[in-house]
Formats: sequence, structure tokens, C-alpha cells
Amino acid sequence: MYRSTVYKDCMTNRAMQEATFLILTSLAAGSQHGYGIITDVRDISGGRVRLRAGTLYSALDRLRSDEVIDIDREEIVENRLRRYYRLTPKGSQLLAAEAARLRANAAEALSRLDLAGGTA
Amino acid sequence: MSDSERDSERLERGYRWLLAWYPRAYRREHEEEILAVLMAGARQGQRRPGMGESANLIMSALRVRFRPRKRAASNSAAADALALFSVVAPLFLLAADVLQVAVPYRFDVRRLGLPPLLTGIIGRHPEVGGLSLLHMPLFPVAVGCQVVVAVLALLGLRWAALIALAASSLYWLVARQWIPAMPDPLQLLTAGVYIMEAAALIASPGPKRGRSLVTRRHSIVLIVAAAAFQASALWYDAAHALPFLRLRPDARGYLAAGIALLAVALGLAVAWKINWFFLLLGCVTFYPYAVQALLAHRGGNLLRMPTPGHLAVLFVPPLVFACAAILGAVLPHRYRPPVSAGPDESAPA
Repeated sequence: MYRSTVYKDCMTNRAMQEATFLILTSLAAGSQHGYGIITDVRDISGGRVRLRAGTLYSALDRLRSDEVIDIDREEIVENRLRRYYRLTPKGSQLLAAEAARLRANAAEALSRLDLAGGTA
Repeated sequence: MSDSERDSERLERGYRWLLAWYPRAYRREHEEEILAVLMAGARQGQRRPGMGESANLIMSALRVRFRPRKRAASNSAAADALALFSVVAPLFLLAADVLQVAVPYRFDVRRLGLPPLLTGIIGRHPEVGGLSLLHMPLFPVAVGCQVVVAVLALLGLRWAALIALAASSLYWLVARQWIPAMPDPLQLLTAGVYIMEAAALIASPGPKRGRSLVTRRHSIVLIVAAAAFQASALWYDAAHALPFLRLRPDARGYLAAGIALLAVALGLAVAWKINWFFLLLGCVTFYPYAVQALLAHRGGNLLRMPTPGHLAVLFVPPLVFACAAILGAVLPHRYRPPVSAGPDESAPA
């Protein structure tokens, strides 16, 4: 059957998954290859998010289908293929919008914690 | 060859075995790249893939194999037709129910000049359908179930509608063994709608999508088609329900009206460019009734003493079509790499 995910609204209308956000963040500073993205995501998340290869390539494939990322270049390093990915302009816009949304949410949460005499 | 090289080779073989779970086209595109990532992430001296890594690769491979293609699925005429059908078919069935009650087949027996005793036995105005249907326990309950299915479909509750459809079918199958059945046309239409509705609910993007596709034009075609069905049912009743009366003269009029209304419905559907696959679904839904009507007209009633062969003639084609629709939606699709500009040749390596 058609799984509901097929018919979900496109990513721009929904909260982005954390792994997707981190992958796009990893590509924001420049193109990266698969293993580079995995290590970068681990560093960005403080070791909390550890992407596995299967998960990463499912996400990369989906992001390419959505034209959020694209292949930048390919290299052969120690007889192994390295394919570098980069953000597309659409991907940059999407990441910027998601970052702004998260920042607004975080600011609101912190301001409310302040009002309540919280720990922020 | 050193131990570390042997370990590395063994590990690579293990990873390649796991990557074989992916479709061939996907492997052509990504195998070497994923392998490079896996080998880069391997521990020193690691000889075989870890459990978590193996499970992750197999699950990802199955997801690639079984995921429907996003754009193809959401844009496909067939998927939209199934979604539309999942909402419209239960409403069509309810319209047919209402018309069966509101416009029964009735005939003035006195016109036949039968002896008074026979007229007394038959009644002056024998009726098929009409308010008498409401006195059969099967009919109100069956219609009640159909209302539930239609409401759930309209609310976009795919699985709830499917469960209600299954419960309704079960009730119908059990109840018709011991209480008088509905008129043949309505029975066969209900069977056709139930078979195709089940397929549409399972295989389509869902009734919520179907609801968004319904237009006023669909409603008009639906009403004209329901009227065509009722006119043909009156013909069927006149010609076959009371065969001993041989009421052929008015039967021809109903048949002509049915054909004319059907032509109007099809003409409107074509003029308004209604999804062709949706029309095909409609044709398949009507198939059991059309076959029974044609064969009964030639003296071969499949419902009088139905054998497994008779039931196969009536219901196997729509069942095959329904299964094909479901399989088309759930079977793995051929992987197609996303269209991409590819590596930027001008970029520095």
C-alpha cells in the first residue's frame, strides 16, 4: 500500500528530522563525503547522533530526490570512491528557514523559563 | 598477505554481502561509495560487520526496495483514481440503495388479464425493491453498514473504513444464508463495489486524498450513473425477477432508458476529462452485474443455483483486478537514482 510517508507534505511544510538537519548543517560549510558527514554530525551533536551508513545514504538519496543536495564531485582515495555532496540553493534556504524556526522556538522557551523564574 | 589485509578483505566481503540486499540499480550507483564509508568507519582489526550495522544496512536496503517512488506515486493517475474511488464508490452504493427503495419495479397485474384467483395470489401490484426492502432484516443493516463505510471514507479514516467494510461483508455473507436476499442487481453492485473499494482503500493514497479530488462534476456523473443503474435494474426486474409474468413490453423501455442514461454519464465523464483509470474502476465494479444481466437475458442465470464456476465467472475478474491494483502499490519498485547535475567538473578536486 502507499505508505503515509509518500503523501506527507513536503519537508518545507513540516518540522525537519534532527538527523536531516544535522546532515544539512554538515554540508552548510562546504561539500562533504559520506564518512565526513558521519563524523561531522557526531561532532556537531556532541556525540549524541551517530549516523550509520544505511541511514545516511537513505537520507542522502531522499535529499537528492528533493533537490536539497546534489553531488559536488568524486574522488578516488586509496582505491576507494569518495563522492562529495553539497547543498543546493534550495537546500540552503531550507536549512536557514529551519534554523530560524528552531531559534525562534528556543528563544520563546528560554524567555518563558525566565518569566517563570526558571534556570535559563 | 598480512593479517590486517586478510581481516580487511574478510570485512569487505561481509559488507558486500550486506550491500547485496540493495537493488542492483542502487548498488551500481552507491555500492563503492557506501563500502568506502563502512571501511573507513571500521575498527582496527575488525573482521566482520557488527550486528547493529548489519541490521541497519538490511533495513535500509529493504526500505529502498519497498518504498514507492514519491513523485510517481503522488502524481499517478491510477493512484488518484483509486483515492477518488475510495470516497465515491460508497456514496454511489448509497445512491443506488435510495433509488431501489424510491423507484421500485411495480406492475399492474390486471393488465395481463390473469384469472382472479392467480391475481389474488400474486397481488395486484407485485413489487421488486421499494419499501418492502425495509422490511427485510438484511437490507436496513446492510445499508447501515454502508453508511458507516461511506462516513469513515469521507472522514479520511482509511483503516477504520476498511474494517467496517470487512465487517459489513462478513455480515452480508453470513446473513444471506438465512434471510431473503436483496434484488440481484443491488447484490451484484454491492459485491462489485466492496471488492473494488477494499482495493482502493488499501492501494490508494487514502480517502483523504480522494476527498480533495471530488468535484461537482464527479457528483453529477455519479447521480446520472446511479439513475442509469436503477433504470437497468428496473429492466432486469421486469425481465427476470418475475419471469412467469413475462413483462417484456415495459422492460424494453427501462433498458432503453438505462442505456441512454449510461451514455449521458459516460459522455459527461469524457467531456469533463474525468480520470480514465477511475472510469475503468467503475467498469470493473459493474462487471458482475453486467455479466449476470446479459446471461440472464439469454436464459443463463448465474445466481439462481450458483456453482463455484458461476461465482468464478462473476467475481474472479474484479478480484484479479483488485489484487493487481494492490500488488502494483505494494510490490517493490525499480530503483531510479535521483536526477542530478552530477559531479561538478569545474570544481577543484
